[in-house]
Amino acid sequence: MSSVQEQPVPVVFTGTRSELAGMLLRGYGLLIPTIGLYRFWLTTWKRRFYWANTEIDGDPLEYTGNAIQLLLGFLMALAVFVPLYGLFFFLSTQSSEAAIAGYSGVAVLLWFLMGYAIYRARDFRLSRTLWRGIRCDQGGSAWGYAWRRFFWSLLVLVTAGLAYPFMAASLWAYRYRHSWYGDRQFGFVGSWKQLARPFYLTYLVVVVIGAVGLGMGSAMGGLPVSGATPTVGGVVVLLIAAGLIGLMLLYYRSREISRMFSSVRLGEAALRVTVRARSLLGQYLLFGLALAGSYIVLAIGGLIVLGVVASGAFAGGAFDPQVFMQALQSSITVLLAIIFGYLLLLGAFSLMVELFLGLGFWRLVARGATITGLDSLRTVKARGEDTALAGEGLADALNVGAY
Amino acid sequence: MGIAGRFHDGQVAQVHVVGLEYEHAGATGTLVIRDEDGVELGRWPATDLYALHGRKDELRLGANGQPTGARVVVRGRVDVARVLATLPVLHAKRRQQAGREIRLAVTATVALAAVIGAYLYGVPLLASRIVGLVPPAWEQSLGETVARQMEASLGDSGGLEACDPDPDSLANRAIARFGAAVLEGSGSPFDLDIKVVKSEIPNAFALPGGQVFFFSALLDQAETQDEFAGVLAHEVGHVAHRHGMEQLISTAGTGALIGFILGDMTGISVAAGLGATIIDARFSRDAERQADAFAARAAERMDFNPAGLADLINRVGADDEFARALALLSTHPLTDDRKAALEILSQQRPTGLEPPFTATEWAAIRSMCGEPVAGTTPKTKSK
Ligand SMILES: [Zn+2]
Repeated sequence: MSSVQEQPVPVVFTGTRSELAGMLLRGYGLLIPTIGLYRFWLTTWKRRFYWANTEIDGDPLEYTGNAIQLLLGFLMALAVFVPLYGLFFFLSTQSSEAAIAGYSGVAVLLWFLMGYAIYRARDFRLSRTLWRGIRCDQGGSAWGYAWRRFFWSLLVLVTAGLAYPFMAASLWAYRYRHSWYGDRQFGFVGSWKQLARPFYLTYLVVVVIGAVGLGMGSAMGGLPVSGATPTVGGVVVLLIAAGLIGLMLLYYRSREISRMFSSVRLGEAALRVTVRARSLLGQYLLFGLALAGSYIVLAIGGLIVLGVVASGAFAGGAFDPQVFMQALQSSITVLLAIIFGYLLLLGAFSLMVELFLGLGFWRLVARGATITGLDSLRTVKARGEDTALAGEGLADALNVGAY
Repeated sequence: MGIAGRFHDGQVAQVHVVGLEYEHAGATGTLVIRDEDGVELGRWPATDLYALHGRKDELRLGANGQPTGARVVVRGRVDVARVLATLPVLHAKRRQQAGREIRLAVTATVALAAVIGAYLYGVPLLASRIVGLVPPAWEQSLGETVARQMEASLGDSGGLEACDPDPDSLANRAIARFGAAVLEGSGSPFDLDIKVVKSEIPNAFALPGGQVFFFSALLDQAETQDEFAGVLAHEVGHVAHRHGMEQLISTAGTGALIGFILGDMTGISVAAGLGATIIDARFSRDAERQADAFAARAAERMDFNPAGLADLINRVGADDEFARALALLSTHPLTDDRKAALEILSQQRPTGLEPPFTATEWAAIRSMCGEPVAGTTPKTKSK
């Protein structure tokens, strides 16, 4: 068959939400007895799930990383963070001006390090991704990427955001042009021109809606200025403006994802991704509903528990903070109940984020993706090993990367 | 042909649809991989085989001695079950691997628990050691920063205006003299700076670096010299022991540890704050005991009853529930055992000492913030 005539092959995602939910719940349960260390295993299981259920032309991806690599990476990242934390503490004890200057310095440093961490984390994941027995990899320099990202973001800041399409296209290109599948290098044919129209349109609309909404809203008294209670009408106008801005941002995000992913090439093979703004919106709405539902359930349960263990604080129908605080300090049961309650809230939140935003997004991209020219990949050969990486280190400590 | 599968040789990105057969040889055997035409693509000895994690109802096999990416993939519950039944070695290897990981996880957890345990018991000790390393000048400038921040935050409710701005007034001189006498002999590098300031909150506290604040509302409620002197001596005790700095260091340490447990070193998360508060409550109780003991030692040189401190705290608490939650008790929790300890300390005092303030000095102190609330006439020491 000729490769020109070849039909695009859709990417298939076979995982289910309930399967992921079961895995996450078991993982959260194990986080408690392991004082949080199980998170490295949980991340590994999660990735196995996502990779193994993403099938391209009949063969799923395979994630070959393991938890121990992540654990080692985290311990190595501590070597960077403990001094940084000490610096942070030192700064917090200085005079206000010195502290502010110091905090800003640390914040800038973290922003820079984040670029490094993102790139290293991507390297770790790619080099542990196997398809048809051939490993992916990432070359390039993490420091180089960090500098690029840093200077681009400065430029974006200086131009009030107008330089963003250039930054996005440049970073996407850097990431993909340094990516490999076996001995074949990825390519990237996208440019800022593809982002310009949706971005500047979004920019304009957001500015106009923002200005009009803020103007109207504050004119109608929607802002709590100088202690005055905001009026209903004003608040409604502000909320509508915020909602419209959110919609525009989703519209832009869907365009950036679709156009940039669709610019990824691998030799003769080409990726094409279509993600619709309304699908993204659907994910967020679903997430909002699920989160609200889970919090209502937790709140009811929490009130019952609190009423039982700290009944003194609610005596006489009124809440007494002093008695409550004293009960807090004296009773270990109440203490445990509060810690447990907090963990439940945190757990419910991250569960919903993972089930509806994480899985939702992965599924949207995977199911919106087709690949042409797959046959050309049958000649790709394996490359040597990439053993230099022990975990994602900094990335884990900095909490970057969703998958 | 045997069980159907897919085969990747790990060298070229090809996919071979294959049939898998198993040749027994004694206790072990060999997995033979043949393509659709019966051509043999590989022979993997069973002892080299291992299973990788795949999705549900999918078995992915690799083998030692083969390219790392080489895979045999079997799909479908029935076929997977057949392969697993033929190759019990896979079960054993997976159990081994799982066992290794569990051992590692347990070891890491025990290590972390040990760190936390060492931290809980070691930090009061460690914090006081580290405090010894902190240059007093640094602590002093820190205290000034805190005072400025506090003044800024209380700015619209009157700030921290001194009741009597003249440092050479009778009251201020008497207070400074008392503070210096209490601090004497403790070897503290700090010069005390005791300020009686206008505030409706009945409280008193010591900042790092030697600053002590005594709020007018608390002074209004003090009925005797014992109470005023007891609270002041207690606060001076905090200064001498450098508790403010110690607390700061232990809070920072707790934050770091909780950040480590949650794996989020950048997030100044709610959890860190909550956890720090709970854990630090322990240290602050130790600090209170130390400051009480310090005040009691001062009471061996001057004639005031350190238990007056407890009386004053009780009176403030009885007055107004809300003020109580917000004020003295929240920074100086008064537990029953602490009260009892104060009583015992107050009974061992020598007799025939000078009171800390003369009657005129005490009267001057009482009136330094304007007229006290009606009904509580100044009393001098009756003993
Ligand atoms: Zn105290």
